[in-house]
Amino acid sequence: MEDKALLSEYLSETEQLLDSLLSDLDSLGAQPGQEVYLINRIFRTVHSLKGLSGMMGLGEVKSLAHEFENLLDRVRLGHCLLDRKTTAALREAGAGLASLVGNAVRGSADPEDFDRLREVITTIAARAPASGENAEVELPGLSSRERALLTKYERRRIIENLAADRKLYAINVRFEAAALDAGYRALAAELNENGELIATLPGEATGPDRVAFKLIEASLLKASEIRRILKPFGGRVSQLNPPSRRKAESRSEDEMQLPPTAYRLLSASQTPPHEEKKSSAKSPSVFESLRPLSPSVRVELSQIDDLSGLAHELAIETQKLSSMADRFLDAAGLGARERFDLRLSGRKIKREFLELEERLVELRMVSLTQTFTRASRLAERLAGDLGKAVSVEIAGRETQLDKVIVDRISDPIYHVLRNAIDHGLESPAERRRAGKSARGRVKLEAGLEGARAIIAISDDGRGIDPLDVRRRAREIGALASDEELSQEETLRLIFRPGFSTAEQVSSVSGRGVGLDTVERAVHELGGEILVFSDEGKGTRFELVVPTTLVMISAFIVRVGEWRYAINVGQIVELLYVAPNDILGRDGKRSIRWRGYTIPLVELRYLLALGGARVLGRPGETEHAASIPPRARLREMASARQRVPVLITRAAGLHVAVAVERFDEQREIIVKSLGSLARKIKGVTGAVDLEGGDVAPVLDLSSLLILRSLRM
Amino acid sequence: MSKGKKAKGVQGKPAWGAIPMHLDEPETSKGKANQVSVLTFTVNDELMALRVEHTEGVVDCPRISPLPSPPDPIIGVASVRGRMTLVCDLSLNAARKAAKRRLILIKGEAQLGLLADRLEGVIALSPKKIRPVSSGKQPVKDRNSKGEFDLPTASFFKSGNLRVHIIDVERLADM
Repeated sequence: MEDKALLSEYLSETEQLLDSLLSDLDSLGAQPGQEVYLINRIFRTVHSLKGLSGMMGLGEVKSLAHEFENLLDRVRLGHCLLDRKTTAALREAGAGLASLVGNAVRGSADPEDFDRLREVITTIAARAPASGENAEVELPGLSSRERALLTKYERRRIIENLAADRKLYAINVRFEAAALDAGYRALAAELNENGELIATLPGEATGPDRVAFKLIEASLLKASEIRRILKPFGGRVSQLNPPSRRKAESRSEDEMQLPPTAYRLLSASQTPPHEEKKSSAKSPSVFESLRPLSPSVRVELSQIDDLSGLAHELAIETQKLSSMADRFLDAAGLGARERFDLRLSGRKIKREFLELEERLVELRMVSLTQTFTRASRLAERLAGDLGKAVSVEIAGRETQLDKVIVDRISDPIYHVLRNAIDHGLESPAERRRAGKSARGRVKLEAGLEGARAIIAISDDGRGIDPLDVRRRAREIGALASDEELSQEETLRLIFRPGFSTAEQVSSVSGRGVGLDTVERAVHELGGEILVFSDEGKGTRFELVVPTTLVMISAFIVRVGEWRYAINVGQIVELLYVAPNDILGRDGKRSIRWRGYTIPLVELRYLLALGGARVLGRPGETEHAASIPPRARLREMASARQRVPVLITRAAGLHVAVAVERFDEQREIIVKSLGSLARKIKGVTGAVDLEGGDVAPVLDLSSLLILRSLRM
Repeated sequence: MSKGKKAKGVQGKPAWGAIPMHLDEPETSKGKANQVSVLTFTVNDELMALRVEHTEGVVDCPRISPLPSPPDPIIGVASVRGRMTLVCDLSLNAARKAAKRRLILIKGEAQLGLLADRLEGVIALSPKKIRPVSSGKQPVKDRNSKGEFDLPTASFFKSGNLRVHIIDVERLADM
């Protein structure tokens, strides 16, 4: 619980679950015909609560949720009748759980509260089983043969008496054959007066003229009182249900048919007077504290966006105001002192507005906890389905990202993870043959690197066989037969559309069910996906995404009279290229960079600004459009200008992009282009610049891919 | 500037300022129930209309930054009232001067603005006067280098002999 952010996320999530739990419990019985659906949903909610509590180290809450879950499972499976009383008791249990979660988080939970709730739960569990044969009685004092002799009715009576918190005794008596009838009748009458004689079982005979019985008696009386009743008849008394609850609880969950405390049950209808008093005196502290757990409120993302917009506008207006005031001071001929004060407070306001905008950006941040937890469950379930054993390691789940990014990166993560389990990990037998442990390992990690987050999914499976990748790539026409590729380039072929549809690939090399969609999703977020593989040892995918869609560190470049912003995360290097160093000709130019020859394209070309749709000064536009790109570059070169070039990566390759001028690097707040943004390729948003100007934020890698497809 | 306008717009009527009523439509009288108010404007000398309830206000068109290969009829993006607005030009004639044009802001999450050369006025129409466009799409003449493209409209009304197309905001956002 030391992690505050995690705690608040837990609270927020828990509160949602509790809200839905309580409202579903309320609807239970109110909507006939909906029971099955509701019970199932309640079951799932309690299951999630259990998972969350476990994650937060709230062991007691988890174990209670587990018992509650068991109970709901029984109701769900029809083992427990869902009548009005059960419904009411379930509601009580739900409310109790809600208050306990709160107390547990606050650290003010009383161990007795847990016991009490556990009693409520077990009471329901033992109440009215829908049919006798489902009820199982475990009484250590009875042999299995004796248990088998009990009729269904007797079994049910035992359960119900236990539920009513009565004690269960075994009474061994012997009667003279001659006095059997009268003796037995007298004893039975006595026992029925002081409790309920449930069953009469044969006892151990000790002689031909004596008949032995083992009677099962339920009573509120203590063993000593029973013994007193028995005195005239002779015989021994032993209690069948052990009064100690500890013993019952210590058994493992798996062997339980009934929840562990079935022996000490408290039914709402049959509560003994003294017990009732105690519980009603105690209940306020247990069930009444229903005040909200989380100190936070939930807001729509759009509300935060609205606030951001408002803050931004305020900042701009304030700036205008202060420059106006500046002029007035000038005109009024006031002194330097006033102007200094004015500028100082102007700057202060500006700084504070900037901070306000940053804070608003932070409001949108959530951790990857939920995503990772779900992913890990998914992995285990999938592995189980495939007959593989896997242990999932998780690191860095507290990494915070913009909510929108977390939402949109979840599916790509699950996708890659599914691939890792399905194709990356070998079968246990295969693993053993390869000298690995039968249980595969999958690791989910997240961490920050500057303004980007790296989410890595790695496995210790078979890795990717480059030969298989080449073969498959040739099949789908993504690779010419004589083409030589580096290891890295080869691996990237798995992101080609259509690469993975064939089964034969997945059975051998294992990768790539629709990895092109994963790559696209990551690109759309302005990120990239990397793959590393060590044959026979494992594979690692890294999804590199911005932490926020709104505040990024960007480099502003100029093309013509316009400015564009590029996420610095997409820039490998900035350089000025001397005209003589530009190689090749029309449409296939390149430069030497770090010992490689890499293609060079003009940003103006990428942006299609050469076309007729340019909104530029007509003269310049026509000029630009009419001159072939190469000539333009030469023209720039002839002006003895070195060409500003930025190096970026697209589809795993380095590309040089020529711009017309480098402006500056700055932190920018990226604004959304609205619901149509999807249709505008190569742009992730836009940023306000001074003077009412706007710079679209470019996604170079998708622009390059877009253009290369059209070439 | 913009917040003030927006505040006025909250009453249900966008803040147009005083827009002269050029059209000789007689039924501008208010208070008639069921009447449809449309804002009329010209694009490339062609008269068009938008239902007033689909609009959020009108501003002088700020500087437009071009986007790479946007879908028609979007020509670029401009910042209006702290919000990025995708600017649509139904004339598709990007080379025309944008400076003096007006930008009609359209309600909705698409964040669209429609360029108009001139605003003509707001008129109230009886629903009877509004007729559906039979084909659903009407090619607009006088296209430039981008060639013909269909006007996002589903209905029109007549002003004298002139057909005035009412721009369908949903179609516009769907193009």
